[in-house]
Amino acid sequence: MIDLLPLLQAAADTTGAYGRFPLIGARAAVWVAAEVHLMFAAFVLGVPMFAVITELIGIVGKDAKYDRLSKEFTRLLVFAYSATALWGVMLVFLLTTLYPRFWGHMAQIFGLSMWIYVGIFFAESFTLYLYYYGWDRWQAGRAKWTHWGLGLLLNVWGTIVMFIANGWLTYMMSPPTTVTPETLPSEVRLWNALANATWMPINIHRLIANAVFGGSIVAAYAAYRFLAAKTADERAHYDWMGYVGNFIAISTFIVLPFAGYWLGREIYAYNQSMGITMMGGFMSWLWIIQAVLIGVLFLAANYYLWIGMQRIPGAERYAPYTKWMLLVLVVGWIVWATPHTMIATREEQAAMGGQYHPLLDVLGVMSAKNTAVNVMILTTFLSFLLYRRANKHPVVSWARSGTSIQGAMFALATAVVLFFGVRGYFVDDVVRIGFSVYQVLAVLSCIIGVTVIDLGLLRGAESRGAIRWGQMPERSQYALFVLAVTFTWLMGLMGFARSGIRQHWHVWEVLRDTSPYAATPALGYAANMISACVLIFLGLVAFIFWLGGLAEHAMAKHSPAEG
Amino acid sequence: MWRINLAIVAVTVGVIGFYTMVAHLIPQLESEVPAPVSLGSGASTDQLVAAGEQIYHQVCTACHGLGTRAPNLLTDHAGRGPIGERCLAVLGEGCKDYLHRSMLSPGDSVLPGFQNIMPVMTTQLGGDQIWAVVAFLQSQGGEVTVSASDLESAEGAAGAAPGAAAAMPAGGTTDPRQLLTQHACLGCHAMDGAGPPLGPSFDGIGGRVSAERIRRGILFPNADTAQGFEQFAGMMPQTFGTQLSAAQLEAIVQFLAARQ
Amino acid sequence: MSRRLREMLAHPFWQAALILLAAYLVMAAIGWASAPVPKSVVVQYMLSALAGVLIYVSDNEGRWRRFKEPIHRTMVEPDRRRLRGGLLVLVPVFVGWVTYQQVRPKVSAPAALRSVHPASPVQITFRGKRMDLATLENPLRQSGDLQQHYAAGRRIYYQNCLPCHGDLLDGRGHYAQGFNPTPLPFDGSTIAQLRESFVFWRIAKGGPGLPKEGTPWNSAMPVWEDFLTEDEIWQVIIFLYEQTGLQPRRLGAGEGERHD
Repeated sequence: MIDLLPLLQAAADTTGAYGRFPLIGARAAVWVAAEVHLMFAAFVLGVPMFAVITELIGIVGKDAKYDRLSKEFTRLLVFAYSATALWGVMLVFLLTTLYPRFWGHMAQIFGLSMWIYVGIFFAESFTLYLYYYGWDRWQAGRAKWTHWGLGLLLNVWGTIVMFIANGWLTYMMSPPTTVTPETLPSEVRLWNALANATWMPINIHRLIANAVFGGSIVAAYAAYRFLAAKTADERAHYDWMGYVGNFIAISTFIVLPFAGYWLGREIYAYNQSMGITMMGGFMSWLWIIQAVLIGVLFLAANYYLWIGMQRIPGAERYAPYTKWMLLVLVVGWIVWATPHTMIATREEQAAMGGQYHPLLDVLGVMSAKNTAVNVMILTTFLSFLLYRRANKHPVVSWARSGTSIQGAMFALATAVVLFFGVRGYFVDDVVRIGFSVYQVLAVLSCIIGVTVIDLGLLRGAESRGAIRWGQMPERSQYALFVLAVTFTWLMGLMGFARSGIRQHWHVWEVLRDTSPYAATPALGYAANMISACVLIFLGLVAFIFWLGGLAEHAMAKHSPAEG
Repeated sequence: MWRINLAIVAVTVGVIGFYTMVAHLIPQLESEVPAPVSLGSGASTDQLVAAGEQIYHQVCTACHGLGTRAPNLLTDHAGRGPIGERCLAVLGEGCKDYLHRSMLSPGDSVLPGFQNIMPVMTTQLGGDQIWAVVAFLQSQGGEVTVSASDLESAEGAAGAAPGAAAAMPAGGTTDPRQLLTQHACLGCHAMDGAGPPLGPSFDGIGGRVSAERIRRGILFPNADTAQGFEQFAGMMPQTFGTQLSAAQLEAIVQFLAARQ
Repeated sequence: MSRRLREMLAHPFWQAALILLAAYLVMAAIGWASAPVPKSVVVQYMLSALAGVLIYVSDNEGRWRRFKEPIHRTMVEPDRRRLRGGLLVLVPVFVGWVTYQQVRPKVSAPAALRSVHPASPVQITFRGKRMDLATLENPLRQSGDLQQHYAAGRRIYYQNCLPCHGDLLDGRGHYAQGFNPTPLPFDGSTIAQLRESFVFWRIAKGGPGLPKEGTPWNSAMPVWEDFLTEDEIWQVIIFLYEQTGLQPRRLGAGEGERHD
């Protein structure tokens, strides 16, 4: 029966189901519109999270520096917001004209949620305008708290909007199993379609990823302003802003893989063959590229921290350790990116006796890779810890034993990770998959435990001297650019993975793609598309940054006292 | 300032270029669409016959195979064996073209004793799908002569991707009379006092049953059987729900319900 | 001398060069101790090591300055004119040589990835007969005399398979050396992990029937569907298992249908 369905649909398909797009074709057009829209959307959802947190720090800590930072983020937001809406409209028009049958299907099921979406989007826009333009008016006392409440509301709207849109796209991936090609769209219950198997995992994954993305773009903005800065004050401010952006990006990034595991598990649970396509099928090579990208992220983030430690008095104590941490990171990266099935010439294959290398094969399997990632996460966390402690001298009586406990926690977590990593080679698949959970738990509890101790340990700590903000070599700022570009590219790549595992289905096993573009392209083609999208996005973002600078000049002219 | 801007652009483009290069260095695997939908000119005879068989059972058996509305094709008809055999015996090499023509313009070759009720198959099937059906029919006791060149010419003639010229669920006509002809309803149901009595007549149907009942009858033909037609129960195709758009379905329902 | 050596070892530039050299030597050692590491992987590892080294020399202001020093000196100072001139010639020559190696026409097939045991399709058509590989079992194990099937299978094997798969079923027939991939040995444990339906599919469809992930195929395995009957293939499968004393994987044993 199953193989009759595609035919039935092909027979029922029509010339009216697809439109044509000149030059690049319908799929590429929708691809670019969707991807760029998504990047802007991630930006305008990620930055408010950030603006609200920094504003709160400013209010509670009575530090105007944070308030200024928060306002600066929000100004970028006002411009980015219209770009998001613009690309969203472009996407809708392209879908309705190029994929009318698909759009008809979605509109019949999700019509109501689309109207709600627009309504909330409307509310979100006006909350944003109030938030930004009311900044100076509601500056003190209770009014300031109301203003902060507006920022919070902005986040609530944004999150709801994203959850609704996620419902649409996860329905395409994992429609409720009761929906079959014969089901009339009008019979599908809206809530069932929205709250499908992968909805929540995607929601959480994207929520975290947006914070990461927002942070990295803000850091890139700060890097640009740092490089262009003319005064020492300006340099100090943007150096600090870059640090905050990078800190938020990397600290939230550390938990992202766990959300990813959850999503992957739900995909496997929903449909085994979809999971196999993702991890073992034609997409298996995608994960090698992902490993390369994430390796770059880890290295660039740590590099930035290590360079940054030179402007902190007292950090010299830790300088000798960085090279060993670097060694761990590079080895971890090498292990993670080692392919299981290797690309080899005839002669090499003959020498290896197959596609697997007799020795390096050990590094190509999941056990090794999970271990490598977890150790890399622990190392990055250690970098942050050292950075934090660099210019502080703990005064609490238990400082020495506290540090020893922290060290023991690190050692224990590493031991657990390594133990299960090695053990994984000697047990069955089913048991091994369970091991990755233990590894993750060990790392997470280590991070939480050490952080809690650290907060107590450094309470009221003596300073070894203030951080010399602004005394940063230029090359550190390029590391921030590399981070932002890599995050953006990674987002495009993962978007391709998520969308590509549907293969020749618009809606998995419900609505078949019968267009000329039904075959899912190879990675090379996808990489070209991703690069194009990233360039368009970054080009527009650069324009927005420039606009932000223009607006600042204008303001500075009107009220020189404020700048 | 220019130096900084250029450096930033260089770093950005360099990083993007590096990732793109890595993606191009690894093996380029495409996920292919499973065979049945797009046969293409490279299809083997086996694939054609298999695809044709599926299409045949989905589309054709509603009439062919009952022996009342249309000649049997897979089983013996008038003592001359299944279609492939009898076609080969009578027409020899011309068999392929005969079968193909009979699907493009069915009215030209109606056998004595049958009525001209068969729809033009290009409204439902793509060019290569029709060739697949021809191949399947030839394989029934005859010799399959459909070849790659036929499929190529089909692609050229249709000028579109396989399966592109087919019945329209979204868009398409909503003229009820045209729809009734297009979907071969009038092959079984009489209208305007003429037509075969294999299903309830459409004349006055709105007076006999409700619009709701008509709609159910189209979507779920086997849900209940009209009185006097028990012997034909199960004959009506159950595929109209996926072939008609909502607007088309409503147009037919309203049109029939109005025929008091 | 030793002081100068120690100074050199403490200098970041020479440290960087040494680390890269050491990384390369480690890989050479792996190649020597086990099997050579494919070039694609060597390049990947060396790039990772290079990135690490660059980070090492530049994450500290002092080290970075010292690292750049010799490079800077070589580029400007008059007493290094010879070295500079030499590098000016050697570097382009090296780049040119690498490029030439990349683009020069070679007789060997390009480096490629192929999966040795790709997943089988859900169903195949064997001489027009549809077979569901997921549920297909060897019918001859239920009917007839196993000894007879074994004897027939042996005859078929020695008539058809021997030249490549060999006398001892070890994949080393007379022609085996000429093929890449080399013919499968049956005396290993591979066929014990496969279900008989999978083996049937591989024999029936041969090299040309490999799915995309099994390509670029240059498997010389013929399409035995064209030369052997269904029963003959099943008989030769029985021979393979009986002769090696291995048991095929049964339906329901193990978790799924993956054969890689």
